[in-house]
Amino acid sequence: MTLSEIDKKILHRLQTNLPLTHRPFLELAKELGLDEDLIIERIKSMIENKYVRRIAPIINTQAIGNSATLAAMQVSEDKIEEVSQIINGYSGVSHNYLRKGRNKDIPLNIWFTMSAPSKEQLDENIKEIEERTGLKVRMLPTTKKFKIGVKFKIN
Amino acid sequence: MAEDNLDIKLIKHIQDGIPLTKTPYEDIANDLGMPEKEVIDRLKDLLENGKIRRLAASIAHRKIGINSNAMTVWKVPSERVDECGKIMAGFEEVTHCYERPTFPDWEYNVFTMIHGYTDEECEGVIERIKQKTGLSDYVMLYSEREFKKVGVRI
Repeated sequence: MTLSEIDKKILHRLQTNLPLTHRPFLELAKELGLDEDLIIERIKSMIENKYVRRIAPIINTQAIGNSATLAAMQVSEDKIEEVSQIINGYSGVSHNYLRKGRNKDIPLNIWFTMSAPSKEQLDENIKEIEERTGLKVRMLPTTKKFKIGVKFKIN
Repeated sequence: MAEDNLDIKLIKHIQDGIPLTKTPYEDIANDLGMPEKEVIDRLKDLLENGKIRRLAASIAHRKIGINSNAMTVWKVPSERVDECGKIMAGFEEVTHCYERPTFPDWEYNVFTMIHGYTDEECEGVIERIKQKTGLSDYVMLYSEREFKKVGVRI
């Protein structure tokens, strides 16, 4: 399946809030000049074909009392697999990547985000990762947010 | 506390996706045994007080062709962080922009997540950020491997 122009139109709109009304998709239909049944059918199809993961609340973990951080480690090539699996084992880890500097070499190469129900729990998890891997974890929590609005340009 | 618990119960019930029906909030209300108005009012409050950032679609960006993701870190003088952060956040391709702490061995204090269809597109954005801010010390950190990427759940 490839996305049609109608799909793209729906997808673009769906990246901002769904109306909080009795018939939200009817409202979208009016906004976009489309049919309510068609919108629901296309969304289902885009989910089935994995273009869309879900329509759901995007949770602000900190606002509900959780503590979160970006973390980085310097891991040698031969230990990358093992260390990434240890990190993935924590349910609070939402992103975990191997990253490489393109214009400059930097030693930190494993980058992950972790949240936990409290700052204490977060610190404890990080300390545990350090113990289990024998490597230092650099915590880089957000000190100021300028933008958090993942909205992609649909070409 | 009881009120908060109902909010958490509501979020947990829909965090993997709302029903794709003509009346999703009514269906959620029926599942949870509360009136539809309460579901809608609670969601409105959660959005207003920032506990929910958005009620929206999560897009599989790689699937739609957005294959390049450059986490770019910048060394910004502390007195220019606000000014530069705002400029960076103004770019459509910059999906996240944060200030983070520095250490003796880590001096990059502003992080921008840039998503594009190609690496060239991301690099074009970086060029424009450099021109607009006058900053020159930065590192483009491209993802080489993805070990985990999941939405935040509670």
